[in-house]
Amino acid sequence: MTMWSWSAFFEYLFSPFLLYGAWTTIWLTVVSALLGLMLGGVVAAARMSGIGWLEKVAFFYVWLMRGTPLLVQLVIIYTGLPQIGIKFEVVTCALLGLALNEAAYLSEIIRGAVQSVGIGQRNAATALGLTKFQAMRDVILPQATRVMLPMLGNSVNGLLKTTSLTSAISMEELLRRTNLLIQERFLTLELFIVASIYYLVMTSAWSLVQNWLERRFGRGFEEEARLENAEQR
Amino acid sequence: MSLARTGSAFSAAFISLLIGYTTTAVAVDCPIKVADSSLLTPGEAVVSINPVSPPMQYVDPKSGELKGMRVEVGDAILERLCLKQKKIRVDDFGTMIPGLQAGRWDMINTGVFFTDARIKIIYMVRYENQAIAVSTRPGDAGKFNTVEDLAGKTIGVDIGGYEENKLKQLDQELQAKGLPAIKIAIFNDTNIDYQALKAGQVDANFTIEAVAKEYADRGISQVALKGLYPSPVALAFRNKDFAQAVADTLTKMKADGSYQAIFDKYGKTPWDGPFDVKGPGI
Repeated sequence: MTMWSWSAFFEYLFSPFLLYGAWTTIWLTVVSALLGLMLGGVVAAARMSGIGWLEKVAFFYVWLMRGTPLLVQLVIIYTGLPQIGIKFEVVTCALLGLALNEAAYLSEIIRGAVQSVGIGQRNAATALGLTKFQAMRDVILPQATRVMLPMLGNSVNGLLKTTSLTSAISMEELLRRTNLLIQERFLTLELFIVASIYYLVMTSAWSLVQNWLERRFGRGFEEEARLENAEQR
Repeated sequence: MSLARTGSAFSAAFISLLIGYTTTAVAVDCPIKVADSSLLTPGEAVVSINPVSPPMQYVDPKSGELKGMRVEVGDAILERLCLKQKKIRVDDFGTMIPGLQAGRWDMINTGVFFTDARIKIIYMVRYENQAIAVSTRPGDAGKFNTVEDLAGKTIGVDIGGYEENKLKQLDQELQAKGLPAIKIAIFNDTNIDYQALKAGQVDANFTIEAVAKEYADRGISQVALKGLYPSPVALAFRNKDFAQAVADTLTKMKADGSYQAIFDKYGKTPWDGPFDVKGPGI
């Protein structure tokens, strides 16, 4: 039986075939996260709209998408929708499945963050004569963004790995390409460790972006927190 | 049966359901014919099966048990060797050979295509003939009269198998002739393959003949081309002596007619050549 092969490990570490798979994973993640964020914002707004039927529709959407496996959602979009005359290319199916699923989770993160902003802030905005839209844009959202960023970051980190589920509908992302190479020489451990390194590099890069975003949206609050701590001492 | 034994049997059944395996007992007075050192567990063969290829190997929807021609062949062999059997259902064919190499099971009984690359790393005993077929949606078979008709089309295939390799090889050959590339859609198993075909996401599927025929018989698809890339398929092993014991048993089964009887029951083509072991260094 075969032993660990360093030469194969280094060969695969710089394999253009796998690098292309990693690139597919990256753009699948970025595009579906952005789409998910936009749709998640809409769903969160619907759930907080105060309009009964709209809240119910949004609740149903979140319940459905969070309560069923993403794999099933992908297969339904890919092979179920064509049976009622709606047919998308595999890439569109993958993006749609990931974004719709992600949106359900992100909407709850957004809703939680918005509701965490104190009522006093809303009252102050109203007292200053801001419209509801202005209050949301200029007062509530900047504060909510700071609260939601760590959770959004975790979600994107998870999404990066969840993209591998799209291989079920024939997307060739990083893990599918790893599996394809395994079949050639059956160097399972070498290839899975190379794939893990790729995922670690991608998640680490995202962590840097997330930290930058958190620092940027946390400006001013760090000083406030420091002063609060000083007062407590 | 006592309450304790009932509870124990229930627990065993429950655990086997949880992790996807079933065990088969053997007669008490049957002397084991395989050395303990040749198996992961003395007296027991751990067999992995990819049950997604009806009628060759599949899970019976009514009983939840493994059925099919290959399951019957495997049962008959191991019964003659007086071995208990632990059948592990593996949904992803791609993990089967690495699992054998890693010592997760003693044998793969899922119709592994016999290739030179594979006998460099595992032991194989050829026992069946198979070929590849092209399946289309019912009524579309006329669009595929030769393999050249696959050029430029989206063709579904299972990951990690002989079929995937041959489809890629065919794609290269067609491109060398100046024909457009085949858009190869690789799926995890035949079920999704045929679901994608049904939904119109692929133009045709490239699967083994037995599977193509089964789906055609169910009215899901139509066989457009068959007999492509004929090759023997084999049982695969991690241990040479166990492989030899199985090869010897198959020889005896052929002599007494029981081997042919199973193939006749399913209308499949048996292996004509000798049942010998091929593998690393042999």
